Amino acid sequence: MNQIVLIVVLPLLAAFLVPIVARMSETLGAALGPLVMGVCLWITGTVAIESAGNAFAINIGGFLPPLGITFFVDRLALLFAFLTALLVLLLWPFQGEHRPREHALTLILAAASGGLALSGDLFNIYVFYELVSVASFGLVATGNRSAAPAVRYLILSGFGSVLALVGIALVYTQTGTLNLAHLSQLAPTQLINPIGLAAFALILLGVGVKAELFPVNTWVPEVYATAPNRVSALLAGLVSKLAALVILRLLVLVFAQEQALLVMLLLGLLGVITGELAAWRAQDMNRMLAYSSIGQLGMVFVAFSIPGETGVFAGLAIALHHLVVKPALFLLAARWGGALSGLAGAARGSLSGALLFTLFALSLVGVPPLPGFWAKLLLVMGLAEQVGPLYHFALAGILIATVVEANYLFRIVATLFRRDNPASPAPEKHSGSDIATAGIFGAGLIAAVLLLIPLSQSLKTIAQQTSDADAYRAVVTLVPTPTAPNWRPAAISGDTP
Amino acid sequence: MTPLDYLLLLSLLTVAIALVAGHRSMGGVWLTFSYAAQLGGLLLMAGLAQPSDVITSSLGFDILGQTLTWRYDALSWYFALITISAGLLSTMYTAGDWGEKFRADGGNLWLLHVAIALNVLSMLILLGSGDLLTLFIGWELVSWASFLLMILAGGPSIQAALRYITYAMGGAMAILAGLALIYGHTDSFAYAAVANTLQSLSPAHLWAPLLLLTVGFGVKMALLPLHLWQASAYAHTPGPGAAFLGAISSRMGLYALIVVLIQLVGLVRVIELPVLFSFISARDVLAWVAAFTIIFPTFTALRQNDARMLLAWHGIGQGGYMLLGIVMGDALGSAGGLMHVFNHATYQAALFLSVAAVVYRTGTADLNRLGGLVVRMPLSFLAMLVGIIGLAGLPPMNGFVSKWLIYRSLMLEGEPLLFVAAVLGTLGTILSVYKLIHNMFLGQLRVEHENIREAPWSMTAPMLILSVVVFITGLMPGLVLHWIAGIQATVGLPVIDYSLGGLDSAQGSLDMLWVVGVLFAGFGIGAVLFYSGGLTHRVHQLDNYAGGHFLSADIRYHYSDNFYPGLMRLIGPLYRYSFAWLESAVQSGLGLLSLSTQGFYRRVAPSNYALVTAVLVLLWVML
Repeated sequence: MNQIVLIVVLPLLAAFLVPIVARMSETLGAALGPLVMGVCLWITGTVAIESAGNAFAINIGGFLPPLGITFFVDRLALLFAFLTALLVLLLWPFQGEHRPREHALTLILAAASGGLALSGDLFNIYVFYELVSVASFGLVATGNRSAAPAVRYLILSGFGSVLALVGIALVYTQTGTLNLAHLSQLAPTQLINPIGLAAFALILLGVGVKAELFPVNTWVPEVYATAPNRVSALLAGLVSKLAALVILRLLVLVFAQEQALLVMLLLGLLGVITGELAAWRAQDMNRMLAYSSIGQLGMVFVAFSIPGETGVFAGLAIALHHLVVKPALFLLAARWGGALSGLAGAARGSLSGALLFTLFALSLVGVPPLPGFWAKLLLVMGLAEQVGPLYHFALAGILIATVVEANYLFRIVATLFRRDNPASPAPEKHSGSDIATAGIFGAGLIAAVLLLIPLSQSLKTIAQQTSDADAYRAVVTLVPTPTAPNWRPAAISGDTP
Repeated sequence: MTPLDYLLLLSLLTVAIALVAGHRSMGGVWLTFSYAAQLGGLLLMAGLAQPSDVITSSLGFDILGQTLTWRYDALSWYFALITISAGLLSTMYTAGDWGEKFRADGGNLWLLHVAIALNVLSMLILLGSGDLLTLFIGWELVSWASFLLMILAGGPSIQAALRYITYAMGGAMAILAGLALIYGHTDSFAYAAVANTLQSLSPAHLWAPLLLLTVGFGVKMALLPLHLWQASAYAHTPGPGAAFLGAISSRMGLYALIVVLIQLVGLVRVIELPVLFSFISARDVLAWVAAFTIIFPTFTALRQNDARMLLAWHGIGQGGYMLLGIVMGDALGSAGGLMHVFNHATYQAALFLSVAAVVYRTGTADLNRLGGLVVRMPLSFLAMLVGIIGLAGLPPMNGFVSKWLIYRSLMLEGEPLLFVAAVLGTLGTILSVYKLIHNMFLGQLRVEHENIREAPWSMTAPMLILSVVVFITGLMPGLVLHWIAGIQATVGLPVIDYSLGGLDSAQGSLDMLWVVGVLFAGFGIGAVLFYSGGLTHRVHQLDNYAGGHFLSADIRYHYSDNFYPGLMRLIGPLYRYSFAWLESAVQSGLGLLSLSTQGFYRRVAPSNYALVTAVLVLLWVML
């Protein structure tokens, strides 16, 4: 089962080969990336079948943690590794202008995303996170439309990295280790204190840049509005979820304290409210989708702030739902740029596109029996079970935001299907590949409705496994504590679990 | 397979037929037959009269730890009867020439058929809900199905439908919040568990979920102040669609309110539940909301100049009567409220269909552009006459019986102020329905309408069927009261003591057979006197004179605009449009908030936020 490491190694290797191969043979260069991603998909699938849902850890090079590098593979990690490969494959930039460069960057993004899903220690997470940043800067800048949003993204992301690094440094000075399992052992004694909280807050804000966390998400609207739509789809659909996944892991394993949840709840709620409100007056579809994405990610954070398995379950459901819906919407928006009023009667040009948009909008709003409803219901039930006015306040905020969301989404649906001025030129048709890909996402959504019961059960199993910190610790074999590094600052001692 | 399964399958089949054959010329006929089959299936289930009589569906599954079930009892059956009949008659109306003309004018007939079939299916699902979660799912399905029906005409209907869906989503989210609060107490959505918990909740804890659910369900009923969406949304729906919506759609809110207020919370509890820091109870609040819902929309209807808008505004007001009767909670009032659901559906559908027939022939529903159509379209006139008598609540039509029961209950329960409010509403209704029939059918015929003929039989037949039902159930209200008594027994209300002609009990007696008999005897004598004298003389409708002068057809003397000027001088200043103002204020406020949040995201130096937040969080941690 160690071949799972290949999903990080292979795309990385391919990323360096693509420019060379493309110089020799253009077709081979173009085919290499999708081929590698297909192999990754296959590897993840076989590992998932082999492991049969049991978590296992891989120590790279045989060095035991906390010294060695650990990959932790459980259902959640496999799920996200699989989705990474799938999404990258579906959103592959077949028609980009600078093909080898885009392909290489996309492959780096895929490798780093796989790494983020699998990493079992903070340092690797940081490295892969930076790698994701680099790849996404490059991809955003390929849009060529304007450099300003990319620079804005660069600055904010760099600042976030600094914050995250400071947070990680705080954790390290406090405990002397960065391995998540080890940290999880030490956390109850050494990190449940103001320093731990400060470290969490810094890491949250740092990683939150990619996860579109309020208030470090100000890059989102401009970048999504100007980047190529497939890149926006990848960032909104995949990268944001992986960043949220990192925060989830930290929250479950290391920083399981009330104040940490409180910070997440507040920032998540502010994200929901500001995102949906800003989307209400958005002037073009890409920006609207970007703001809506902020709102949805805010909901994910609110869900994760519910302690225990319920929160993980709800948060994963919303995140996965968004992961299916938002990329498809960005693909549909590719030809629906410009002012929203210019979309009047766009359904005449592309009926299937308009119908798909309606389907996704219905699911986003949460109309039963579409998956979005069940995800939202999980969140509502989870929030309702919590005592404390803040949770109920968050519930109210989310429900009000949903009304706003329904209003702006269906204003667009109505515009698309408008028939009153047949004289106006219909907007461009969608490219075949965009519609086909969006159609695949739509089919996935419908399939999820049909398979609702088994899906909800398996997601519940994933949530159970994820929220079980003891199981995580049990899987990772640590170096026996006596040989734990003794080069830690002397002031902080006593690392016995 | 239970009868309920067959019913739902038939309804699903109807949707399939609409999808496959809705665009064919025979599609409407097939659909009519499949609605008739649904009605037959429903009638096979008749006999749900006792609390123990419940037909469950084998449909049902467990998800997310919740069990979803569907089942029908007497209450569901009664509402389902109205739903399917409304679907049947409006589809029958659409199936013939109306549909052809609709398509010729660029309408999407296929979508109209599909939308009506989906509405019926979703309503049947809602009515079968066996727990709060299925209730919510059904609720959402109904909301979105109505949205489809409202928006499909395009043009002005789009704005109206968007306004509707915003209100509906607001309502749905209020319901969801209420359900969440209840779920927080029970960890279950099952009716039995919820009812148990609600019994034991303290008044302070009961208020929040009760208020949220009432507001949420009240949106669909268009209770004040959540009523602004309804009139334009219904009026802009194509003719038979408007008839369908006007007949049953907003009653789904009443169904859900009955489930929550009476079956789950218990009306006794609502009556006892005090409003904090005051001497009134939750029931008083509901009753007065219902009373204001009667008065304001009815008097708004009086000022409408579009026949469809006028009817739609009345639909809101009549919903107030139903709620008012039901919250009275005694046998007479609740019977009146429940019966009014049926009665209103029948006459309102007849009225909308009659107006649609006029629109079909003349192309307008503008009350200032019609008149004198009585000779040209006598059957449509008859349907409208029967309909407005029912709407105004006058004998011998069925609307009289239900309103009589409500008035009687208000008096017996010692609510003179509410009684006055209800009568005030009826006054407004009588005034405005007279305006309706006068401006459309009476008075001077316009020259351009000289060659108009009666609507084809495919359109007159449903109207006449409805008129007959309005009359028959007015003559023999016992037919409907039989179902009502079953509902009252099922939901736990006092049961009315009815007879075929009305009611015969200690609280009062009414025998419509006698009332109608005397009335028609009077009409008969008048008719004999009128026709036996031999003094009548038929002239052409455009052959008129006034004050000794002949009036040629181009002289307009049909008095239609600014109807009731004297009354309007008195009450005109009272129309403040405060609710519309409030709505636009909320909208502007939201726009302002939205702009300021966008301003936040547009800031040039984004890292400042990160820095400030980091510092703030660190400060919070340190402190």
